Amino acid sequence: MRRTTIAAAVAMSVSLLAAACSGSTPAGSPTDGATSGAKEPSSTEKASHKQGGSVTIANVAGQTWTCQFNPFNPSVNALSLGFVYEPLVFVNLLQDQKETPMLASSYQWSADKKSIVFTVRDGVKWSDGQPFTAEDVAYTFDVMKRAPATDLYALWTGAGLKSVTAAGNKVTMTFGQAAGPYFFNFANQIGIVPKHVFSTGEAAAHPDTWADRKPVGTGPYTVDPCSANNIQYVANPTYWQPGKPYLQEVQYPAYLDNGPANLDLANGKAQWGSQFIPNIKALYLNKSKDNHTWSPPVTNVEIVPNLDPSHPATSKLAVRQAIALAIDRQKISQIGEGGQQPPANQTGIVVPTFQNYYDEAAVAAAGYDKPNVEKAKSLLAGLGYTEANPLKLTIITITGYTDWDASLAVVKQQLKPIGIDLTVADLASQTFDDRLFNGDFDLAYYGQGGGPTPYYELRQMLYSKNSAPIGKPASSNYERYVNKEVDALFDQYPTADEAGQIEIIKKVGAAMLRDIPIIPTTESVNWFQYNTADLAGWPTESDPYAQPAAFNVPDVEQVLLHLYSKSAQK
Amino acid sequence: MTALLVDTGAATGIPPVRRRAGGGLWAAVRGSRKALLGLAIFAVFSVLAIVPQLFTSVRDPNELAFTPALPPSREHLLGTTTLGQDIWAQLVYGTRQSLVIALAAGFFATVLSVLVGVSSAYLGGVAGEVLSMVTNVFLVIPTFPLIIILATYAGKGTLLVVLLVLVITGWSYGANQLRAQALSLRNRDFLESARVRGERRSYVIVFEVLPTMTSLIVANFLGAALYSVLTAAGLQFLGLGDPNSISWGTMLYWAQSQQALQTGLPQWSIAPGLCVALLGVSFALLNYAFDEISNPALRPVRRQRARRTRAGGS
Amino acid sequence: MRYLLRRLGFFLLTLWAALTLNFFLPRVMPGSPLQALRNRTHNKLSPAALEQMLTSYGFKPNENLVVQYLDYLQNMVTGRWGISIGATLGEPVTAVIGQALPWTLGLVGITTVLGFLIGSLIGIVAGWRRGGRLDSLLPPVFVVTSALPYFWVGLLLILVFSVWTGGLLPSDFNYDTGLQPSLTPGFAGNVLRHAVLPAATILIASIGGWILTMRNNMVTTLAEDYVRMARAKGLSDRRIMTTYAARNAILPNLSGFAMSLGFVISGAILVEYVFNYPGLGYLLYNAVQNTDYPLMQALFMLFTVAVLVAVLLCDVLTAWLDPRAREKG
Repeated sequence: MRRTTIAAAVAMSVSLLAAACSGSTPAGSPTDGATSGAKEPSSTEKASHKQGGSVTIANVAGQTWTCQFNPFNPSVNALSLGFVYEPLVFVNLLQDQKETPMLASSYQWSADKKSIVFTVRDGVKWSDGQPFTAEDVAYTFDVMKRAPATDLYALWTGAGLKSVTAAGNKVTMTFGQAAGPYFFNFANQIGIVPKHVFSTGEAAAHPDTWADRKPVGTGPYTVDPCSANNIQYVANPTYWQPGKPYLQEVQYPAYLDNGPANLDLANGKAQWGSQFIPNIKALYLNKSKDNHTWSPPVTNVEIVPNLDPSHPATSKLAVRQAIALAIDRQKISQIGEGGQQPPANQTGIVVPTFQNYYDEAAVAAAGYDKPNVEKAKSLLAGLGYTEANPLKLTIITITGYTDWDASLAVVKQQLKPIGIDLTVADLASQTFDDRLFNGDFDLAYYGQGGGPTPYYELRQMLYSKNSAPIGKPASSNYERYVNKEVDALFDQYPTADEAGQIEIIKKVGAAMLRDIPIIPTTESVNWFQYNTADLAGWPTESDPYAQPAAFNVPDVEQVLLHLYSKSAQK
Repeated sequence: MTALLVDTGAATGIPPVRRRAGGGLWAAVRGSRKALLGLAIFAVFSVLAIVPQLFTSVRDPNELAFTPALPPSREHLLGTTTLGQDIWAQLVYGTRQSLVIALAAGFFATVLSVLVGVSSAYLGGVAGEVLSMVTNVFLVIPTFPLIIILATYAGKGTLLVVLLVLVITGWSYGANQLRAQALSLRNRDFLESARVRGERRSYVIVFEVLPTMTSLIVANFLGAALYSVLTAAGLQFLGLGDPNSISWGTMLYWAQSQQALQTGLPQWSIAPGLCVALLGVSFALLNYAFDEISNPALRPVRRQRARRTRAGGS
Repeated sequence: MRYLLRRLGFFLLTLWAALTLNFFLPRVMPGSPLQALRNRTHNKLSPAALEQMLTSYGFKPNENLVVQYLDYLQNMVTGRWGISIGATLGEPVTAVIGQALPWTLGLVGITTVLGFLIGSLIGIVAGWRRGGRLDSLLPPVFVVTSALPYFWVGLLLILVFSVWTGGLLPSDFNYDTGLQPSLTPGFAGNVLRHAVLPAATILIASIGGWILTMRNNMVTTLAEDYVRMARAKGLSDRRIMTTYAARNAILPNLSGFAMSLGFVISGAILVEYVFNYPGLGYLLYNAVQNTDYPLMQALFMLFTVAVLVAVLLCDVLTAWLDPRAREKG
């Protein structure tokens, strides 16, 4: 598979979060009290359309299917989570963590947020006819405890999960610390598996390597059949939402490369696209009036400077400020990403997704709302660098991400007039990782995973415990930024209430403006193309009820529950 | 991909003609139409490589100086890329790297072939067998997979890495051929006389054997150059070269990743490929012509309308 | 007999050398499957979990190197090729290879055989009719085609027959994604349709070599004394061409053919890449990109063994057909 760009990943690695959550939380946190969720929005409303029709997904796999569906196998769980397996609660990152109860009809936090009780939904059946109970939920988490390789989000080891017990129709989870930030992981990202399947045979002995070729789940679809070239999902007739899903079939072909996938999208053979399409107007949008695209931004792509004093140039604030002032993010977005990734801003807060955390006035006050080449020039001139006598810097990036190469070509051009001679070095991804983690670079171009609020991405990038001395691998703070005040802000976040959290993030944004520890250039998106010739119910910019890409799990379930065929309504 | 080299005839056991360098060779080349064509193409590319500035007004072909995705016009003979670079300028400036790769990799691979092949024939004994074994191991190892693995893991796809990879994988074929011929020459009279005269082995090798094998060595060089051109382009096309360099293969890589064929910019893909093909063709033509020169049986027969003996007559 | 034993010895020794090279190559290069897996899962998951996942699949990098080497040799030879740790994480390597093998054998194997047969025939005729129209036309044309890069020919064919015709001939994949593999004429027809362009690419780029080599051999053979003798004896042209000349001319070509059969399995990587044909070549490319050691090693071994077997067979064949070669042993 040619990797032209990486898909934006949304979910943080809990271990990164947990790396420093060793500090005890203040007892009796103020304001919050117990929070609970019990709303029942649209996707669990009554069915309002007739059933029928199908959809074909174009998400490049790069390899033919192996027909494995084990939700604990990170290579394949994007094929089963959301289609066949469901989570407890769906959390929508695009609508400020709006929740949709799925297998849990409601939940209740304890006052100190150290334990949570889920009430599981009644009347849900597994696709093989057995009834779904709270035992299945407890068992799912128990598997993750027994086989640490399946604990993909490090809940037992990092988040401090101490026990998961089922009693009647309630499941109680207890943690060793305030577990608010982990809700997104354990409630939204874990697919619940059937105890009666996973406690027998191969699955019980090796839950991490079991192939799970005929997955049994509670979700809207089952797999029938799977071959190397295509997975066909058919509607589950005993799904707990009556009348849903509307579409009776989902086809998921194994595209080896973007080329054929883009072609199929353009001519309508596939209707649900999830990759970067170069020259999208000519290749896709102009081919039919029913072709649309909307790619919501979720994380940043940034220039990572090396703040360690061993790198004299990049550790100087003036140099970083000059770079941040000289680059024209609009141009980078336009030329490098074909306009499909919006420009980022210096606070690192992704807009418009996280609009309420964004302090636009502060950005303007600091002078980063538009490029200021003159100021950048003077900053560097003050250090003795001009266009004739430039500062030589090298930026490392990953071979194969051609849109990043294109963006860096633009950056290089923009830094030339202010007195920086930038060399772009493409490295094989393993070599790149080595150098990035160990701090062996001047500048690096990278994008991290995020989460339902800016807290996750910012913490990954700025929390000092995620750093490491040069020569040792850092877990995510590659620029080696150390700031006690910012650390303290992150520590306060888990126990703050909503308004308090917004304040904290705004303060972190201010630190970004002040210290320029990293320089975001564009915002990474979930690639999404959709065809409305026969299908309706897609998430759109005005109604972003879920992340729309086919690789966003478990959001894909929400999309599938909304989609219906226009021709089947007649 | 196996670049099938045209058999020179020497390996089939036909004795090569002992030829003095220069003089007769040049006259023979001049007389062969194929050689002239090959030489002409090569000359054109050489000029482009040495003075690219004469053929385009653009000074930095990678600079994003123009409107993206323009069709061919007077200012942009082949249009512009989706990033806004002039395709014709990239083509012209890219000649240099491709030519350098072909000549340098071809040269070093040939040197290595000669060293190993001839030594293994003359050292004899265990050393000779070991060298022959090494040659054979490299010969049967599937080169393209090896190239991909080496190039991926070398970390940085710089020119040096590409050259190294090409030399390592390209020398064994020639070494085998040279060894075979050197072996067959071992017992020839003129070498016997040198031995009887008491000349040192190294003298014998350098001054008696090598000149006799000139035609095969030249053929090897041309074959290695052809192989290098095609394989380097293939490597860069797959993205294993340096995507920020200026060369035909890199152009192909960018064109492919931007789907030039499907988005109305086919010249971005076809033009650099055509250049690679032409350069390869020039080497192949020279190689073939050389074949004919060194093996009289292969020389093209003038078609005689009046006096036709039996078809196929010598 | 001694000749054969020597060849067999060479075969085994070379096999061992190639296997050893194959073992050390991934290990001396930077990078690791863990990092590749982290990249593929977008840093979403805890590295400790990923590392344990890999270990469950048999990846134990910290074991003693000698132990690993011996295990590796034993496993390779007995067919215990392990489990893929790359993009097809969790699938046994034999299954992954088994899926791709028939496609490569089909596409590349058949076109190689076709290319050889057609090319040799044309070469024989051309060599025979020296000075004829065919002969003055062919060499330049085929010298050109033999120097064309495979992938460029592929791109050109895609442009002309797929893009400009609006998709008349498919340019990707081995069969339409909606179809299930079955032994019906409809499915077979679909497979053939998808194979036209890649097969044409391989044929066009490789046939030139066969034709030219065959022609040259033919011409050289025709200059030999025994052919003159045959003509002096008054034998018919036809007889001389087939029984005397062609039989001898084809010998060197046979060895070349055997070699290229061996190289079939390496799958014309570039062609498979351009056409997204899921054969062994494509598999190797992916395996390398994803640092999939078990798959890489199995594939590499397969490729090497195929070539070695082909060379061995061809040596046997040559020894059988040409008594002169037996002495040279």
